[in-house]
Amino acid sequence: MNSFRIRAFIPSPSLRIIPLRTSRGYAVQAPGAPTLEIFNRQTKWLQKERAASDVEGSRNVDYLRNEVASRLCERLLDINRHFPEVLDLGANACNIARMLTLPSPESPDAGPRANRISNLTAAESSRSLLYRDEDLEFNNEISIIRDVLTTSETLPYDPNTFDAVLSSLSMHWTNDLPSVLAQVNNILKPDSPFLGVMIGGDSLFELRTSLQLAEQDRRGGVSTHTSPLADVRDIGGLLQKAGFNLLTVDVDDIVVDFPDSFALMRDLQAMGESNAVLGREMGAIQRDVLLAAEGIYRELHGNEDGSIPATFRLIYMIGWKDGPNQAKPLPRGSGMVSIKDVLESQEGGSGDQKK
Amino acid sequence: MPTKTRPIEKFASAVAKCSAEGSVYGKCIVADYNNVHKDKCLAEFLRLKECYLAAYKKR
Repeated sequence: MNSFRIRAFIPSPSLRIIPLRTSRGYAVQAPGAPTLEIFNRQTKWLQKERAASDVEGSRNVDYLRNEVASRLCERLLDINRHFPEVLDLGANACNIARMLTLPSPESPDAGPRANRISNLTAAESSRSLLYRDEDLEFNNEISIIRDVLTTSETLPYDPNTFDAVLSSLSMHWTNDLPSVLAQVNNILKPDSPFLGVMIGGDSLFELRTSLQLAEQDRRGGVSTHTSPLADVRDIGGLLQKAGFNLLTVDVDDIVVDFPDSFALMRDLQAMGESNAVLGREMGAIQRDVLLAAEGIYRELHGNEDGSIPATFRLIYMIGWKDGPNQAKPLPRGSGMVSIKDVLESQEGGSGDQKK
Repeated sequence: MPTKTRPIEKFASAVAKCSAEGSVYGKCIVADYNNVHKDKCLAEFLRLKECYLAAYKKR
């Protein structure tokens, strides 16, 4: 296996001054998954901490996270089961916990949705954001454990710990999605679901295009102001690669209207969702560019009433960990009945139903 | 208690006073947005900026 020895080898002075040219080596990819760095985790952590330090400002922009968490909880209710241990991965301000304490909008009399779960573990890397709403009332209505992750991409849990893992609006800041999903698969009990939602696809395309056009005209080039996002068709492959079965992926667009593009950017900042792409241009966007982008945003995408729309495309994903009693497709070649015979015997024809 | 105005809010309120110029500039860019090059709409932008600077000072 990976056994290797470290020898204390101190080369003699004559060996140490070998010119570099003579000591060539191969460029080797480290074994295991290649780690691709897209986002600056430190920056993201700092942005979340800063955003949460302004408690009121941060609560005012919870509208998106609450709505999405609520929709995710609805999907959890669709699974007819009781979940003793649930993990909320990347909990932000515990929005899932808050939404679980409310009744489902479809059946308001059925009591809080949290009846279906026993313990919720909320894991998040930003301490201030995680503990922001610690003293609010909903904390008493659900058994919740807050857990600050030292790194957002290594999960400190034992295998087969959780009956369900939820994740709402935090996976789009993950550098190494395949690794995190594989870890999620590992900490789930057999035959347990992972339900996640992340921002993806063409989210914020209005802001992206207007900033690009503005920079093109003002500065003659573009730089990154919005994250690269996963697309719907990537998600299936990602989940499958991480070992999930019975995949469900669906997309939901939420369009939010803002008075102007500055309000949109201010809200994103208050959510802690500012740009954290590695290699972005440091410092604020130039005022000339902001001024130009505002005019372009209005002309290109603006609504008739003078507001501007911002699209958030949410990708919901459900995957099940392998379990012994789970429904599985039959092996290839095991089909003994021809579908043609079945259809012909039913309708006495070629499958076209005659009325 | 006097509320602290963030620079971006001051900026936004000044820009809001120049919607006519902003619209002219936006139309100029959007008219042919597949071929945008540097200073494509310089004249329109300078008018927008002039208006914005005046609004920013007056405030």
